[in-house]
Amino acid sequence: MDALIAPKLKLDRVGKRFALKPGEAVAAVEDFSLDVRQGEFLVIVGPSGCGKTTVLNLLAGLELPTSGSLSIDTHPITGPGADRGVMFQDYALFPWRTVVGNIEYGLVYGPAGRNLSAAQRQARVRHYVDLVGLRGSEQKYPHQLSGGMRQRVALARLMANEPEVLLMDEPLAALDAQTRLILQDELLRIWGQDRPAHERRTVVFITHAIDEAVFLADRVAVMTSHPGKLKALLDVPLPRPRSDRTRGDSQFQALAQHIWSLIRDEAYRATVA
Amino acid sequence: MNSAAESRIARAVAVPVILIGVWYAWTTLHPTPRTPTPGRVAAAAVDMIASGDLPLGVLQSVGRVFGGFALAAAIAIPLGLAMGTRRAIERNVDPLVESFRPIAAIAILPLAILWLGTGTAAAVTIVAYAAFFPIVINTVAGVKRVDSTLLRAAATMGVDRLTILRTVIVPGALPSIGVGLRIALGVAWTAIIAAELAVGAKAGGGGSGGVGQMMFVFYAYSIELNRIVVCMIAVGLVALLLDRMLRALNAWLMPWTH
Amino acid sequence: MIRGVAGAAIYFRTMAVFAAVWWLIAAWTGNAALLPSPLLVAKAIGELALDLELFKHAGISLARMLASLALAILLAVPLGILMGRVRIADDLLDPVVEILRPISGIAWIPLALFMFGIGNALPVFIMTYAAFFPIVLGTISGVRGVDRRLVNAARTMGVSHRAIVTTVVMPAAAPALLVAIRLGAASAWTAVVAAELIGAPSGLGYAIEWYRELLMTPQVMAFIAMVGVLGFLFDAALRSLSRRFTPWAPATA
Repeated sequence: MDALIAPKLKLDRVGKRFALKPGEAVAAVEDFSLDVRQGEFLVIVGPSGCGKTTVLNLLAGLELPTSGSLSIDTHPITGPGADRGVMFQDYALFPWRTVVGNIEYGLVYGPAGRNLSAAQRQARVRHYVDLVGLRGSEQKYPHQLSGGMRQRVALARLMANEPEVLLMDEPLAALDAQTRLILQDELLRIWGQDRPAHERRTVVFITHAIDEAVFLADRVAVMTSHPGKLKALLDVPLPRPRSDRTRGDSQFQALAQHIWSLIRDEAYRATVA
Repeated sequence: MNSAAESRIARAVAVPVILIGVWYAWTTLHPTPRTPTPGRVAAAAVDMIASGDLPLGVLQSVGRVFGGFALAAAIAIPLGLAMGTRRAIERNVDPLVESFRPIAAIAILPLAILWLGTGTAAAVTIVAYAAFFPIVINTVAGVKRVDSTLLRAAATMGVDRLTILRTVIVPGALPSIGVGLRIALGVAWTAIIAAELAVGAKAGGGGSGGVGQMMFVFYAYSIELNRIVVCMIAVGLVALLLDRMLRALNAWLMPWTH
Repeated sequence: MIRGVAGAAIYFRTMAVFAAVWWLIAAWTGNAALLPSPLLVAKAIGELALDLELFKHAGISLARMLASLALAILLAVPLGILMGRVRIADDLLDPVVEILRPISGIAWIPLALFMFGIGNALPVFIMTYAAFFPIVLGTISGVRGVDRRLVNAARTMGVSHRAIVTTVVMPAAAPALLVAIRLGAASAWTAVVAAELIGAPSGLGYAIEWYRELLMTPQVMAFIAMVGVLGFLFDAALRSLSRRFTPWAPATA
């Protein structure tokens, strides 16, 4: 049945080369093909430097491929746009705007808020402030917030624009281990993991943490590096909603081990070589 | 007041007090009619303030500084924004900026007098010239220092380029611009004193007004060293005041900088 | 500043455009005493260079600059190190520094005229004073900015206190110190024209004023250009010296 429905995002033989010096180029990504389904939570995992961020940047339209093509709903991706929201690794919060100022930015200055009255916009902002659990901190500046809180602001800002696709580049990387686990739960809750697929937004999530990938994903795309290629595309059949108990599940452990075995040699080479 | 604060204050005033004391002792032991003494300086200060001469002179000088400063900012900030965002503009304008930067405002003064006379127009022009460089240089640096990730974040929300300039680049560069403005105000104040001094020296003590010219008159015409010292203290105090003012302005404009 | 052949080409192109616009305006006003054409100025530069008058005054100003800078460094750097490392010294001396600093060197000119009269001493005094403050403040900041952990590392190896100052603190603070000296030099060079304009019988500032009184504007501009050229060269020389002595420091504009 899935084959009849067009994928939300399509990457078709995508390649990206960077020129280091005249005549010398390195392929960050090569021959990468992938279909991302509507409403799925797809995680791309791989060792450092394998091109995961490049794939995300290509999907976001922040960079253009040197070969192949990317499309959303069969429309080619030629640049950034409000239909594909991005959450960056260091949150990219505007330091001169408060929490509310950051969350409403895309609605005030971008196309996402074009048809909203000021009252509707404020209501939406308030909704997402509550959803991510930041009630009471609306007037604070980013420098006054902890890492976990900044991540929530970035998430609320991303979601307030209600993009069709959420692209997230290692958003939990800068947090300590405990906050990470809590925010993984939060992320799934906010995304709406207990709703049917056609009501959920499509997520492409980058991480280098394997257990995080298995916990969050419907499918995991495993990448190798030098050049960045798709090594494997695995289903994660763990039932939703997922919780702490899922983490102890034997199927969870087996999947994580399997992915690690796929990456391990690469990671070792990258660290030692 | 606890003893830690007391000793801190004591150490802060110790050396200045000792120096003033030495000054007083020396001039009391070797009295000469011309030498400034703490007593005469204080008396001169009271006289100059009460007669309104000092406040008037300060007001004149400060007025010119603000005029030139505003002019410089009005040109330098937009230019700096343009240079910071567009490589082509920077490449073509930068040679001019860098060539004139080592030429101090005071060196241009003779030309300014030639073209605009010895009055306020020349003074304001000199101040504007002096203030221009710190502002434009710091604006360009500020724009370049804006985190590129912030620009990409705005792009991924579908915001157009001009709005990104207005809502991301300008606020992002503001801390640097603020530093440039603060430096420029200090430079402007030094420039106006120099200009008024030089004009006073060359135009025979007439026409320019302001604290710098007062100082020269006290040197060349009435030979009042005490009054010169009062003017110098005024120069220092105004410089401090202007700096504090701009720090406060920067803190108010940018509540997010901690 | 942009480097390389391409950079030089753009530099000359911009300056050529500037000269062309200047020439047009000069031709339009038609008054050589008010705005001489660039050609007249170039001719004046040539003449002044040939009879060496240009270099005579430039040399005098430069000599004063070097003397002032040397004097300022000799006074400001040791003081800065002291104030940066010894809390009490800073507590005692900082108020004096902060009171004198806002009184620019130029404000001292009338008083200095009384103390020294017109001559060599006045410009050197003013310039030394002007250079002193950026250098002392930059030295304090540089010394304070030395990473504590480096000092601690040396202490755990049993290095003596004096050796720590010379082998850890000084090299670590050197980049900041050299930047401070560059700023001091720029400050002094700004003061040179003002000081010489009013209080010296020679030098670039004096020459500018001399020719202005004679309404020989091409010569005025020639000397102004010399101020700019020398200022730029001096700073470039200091920058290259900085790179030589502290190759590990990041390049600053």
